[in-house]
Amino acid sequence: MASQSVSLSSEVFLEKAISDGNGQVKIVLYEPKIVTPGDKLIFFLKYHNVGAAPAANFVVTNPLPGAIAFQGSNDAAAELSVDNGRNWGFLAALKIHEVNGAWRPARMEDVTHVRWTMRSPIPAGGQGKLSFRGIVR
Amino acid sequence: MTNNIKLFATASGVAIAILGAAPAFASGTLAGVDIVNQATVSYQVGGNIQTPVIATDTLRVDRKVTVAVVELGSATTTVSPGQAQAATAFTVSNTSNAAIDIALAATNFGAVAAPHGGTDGFNPGAYTFYVETGGVAGFDATDTLVTYLDSVPADGTRTVYVVTSIPLTDGATAITNGLIAAVHLTGTASELDASSTAPGAAITATAGANGKLTTETVLLDAAGTASGDIANDGKASDDDDYTVASAVLTVSKFSRVLADPVNVLVSGALDNVNAVPNPNAKAIPGATIEYCITVANTAGATIPDATNVAISDSLASLPVTYLAAFGVRTGATVASGVCTTPTGTGSFASNTVSGTLGTIPQGTLKTLYFRATIN
Repeated sequence: MASQSVSLSSEVFLEKAISDGNGQVKIVLYEPKIVTPGDKLIFFLKYHNVGAAPAANFVVTNPLPGAIAFQGSNDAAAELSVDNGRNWGFLAALKIHEVNGAWRPARMEDVTHVRWTMRSPIPAGGQGKLSFRGIVR
Repeated sequence: MTNNIKLFATASGVAIAILGAAPAFASGTLAGVDIVNQATVSYQVGGNIQTPVIATDTLRVDRKVTVAVVELGSATTTVSPGQAQAATAFTVSNTSNAAIDIALAATNFGAVAAPHGGTDGFNPGAYTFYVETGGVAGFDATDTLVTYLDSVPADGTRTVYVVTSIPLTDGATAITNGLIAAVHLTGTASELDASSTAPGAAITATAGANGKLTTETVLLDAAGTASGDIANDGKASDDDDYTVASAVLTVSKFSRVLADPVNVLVSGALDNVNAVPNPNAKAIPGATIEYCITVANTAGATIPDATNVAISDSLASLPVTYLAAFGVRTGATVASGVCTTPTGTGSFASNTVSGTLGTIPQGTLKTLYFRATIN
């Protein structure tokens, strides 16, 4: 196989609110050594075009691990799917077909996939970072 | 560089959804489950679709051990002295994200305030544990005797009855109405044991540095009532108490001379309950005496019925002869030491008068009376 001209890495951090004792709370990211249900995680996806040519139609797709309930993305334009990637859109536009046949608005924890579609090609040497949050079910 | 993200044309705003994770387990993802996050990039170079690039990140869910012990109900258990099996009820639950054994231990209070008021005043017999298995709430014969809780699954809850015997005495203390015995039930999170005959070792938190891809243990529990049960120690405890509700019986014996050989009855015969005694009769040989015994149960809302009350009175050491013609009468009426209005009969055998008085509710009395002649 030819060497990839795009590299992608996935990292996950544990997000904790730490009080400094003076009423100030700051959010600190930890390496996720001990992870138990209820913990808040933040997933980072770093991409880097290490090839010599621009990478066009650049789409990053990330299915949610089953044990993670989606909690949103910092990137307002992240597209979401609640049906394993068949339909995509903002959460408000997505619906869940319930067992009894009714449709209901989708909720964050219904999200099965998150996707970012780049408008312009990634130039050679170009890189960036995407992120989303999840909570361990 | 900045992300160039194609905004797709749909909504004008970003949705804010109400967060409400609905995991399969209330206790969360089971320990040991790997969270594998996999992202894929598809792209084109020079108009040609390239092989997608995949990145994965894996982390393992650790074991969060939480055990809880909570008294079931909020009232004391009413017991009676000599009761063979008196039960207090607790729920013992495992909200860990893994199955565990739970060791059980019950300990007596010292002479301190009891959970439902009053002060601990005695220690009952040895404690045993039963798990609700009959399907009918409350301790009964269908429940199962256990020494610990075996393999309680994640989110598993058991109803545990702490069963003890109530003695008649505790050392020099007679077990009487109102005395309280309080107990702590402690559940200790323990490793699963393959033998299913005893709990495994108590679970401890993983010390020191931990690995992303190994399962560590974190203890997360509240401090309990039992001595030394601090937060996050893998133990949980709560307390309950047994309160003695006992009939408080008072026995009184009265006698009166009905007639003597000189001062005979004013009317009636000696075997007649309505005979009118001679007020001048003396206790001389040949005189007839009526004995009236009363058994009274103290009044009080918490005083239970005294049941199966039986009474016996030996005449063997007395210089009197039982008057068989009158027999033994039982009733529930007494006035100034005189039993009246018989409603039943007793018996006489081996020079002993006996009678069955049955149930005596609080605040009432029953009587037994008979006649004898002075030798």
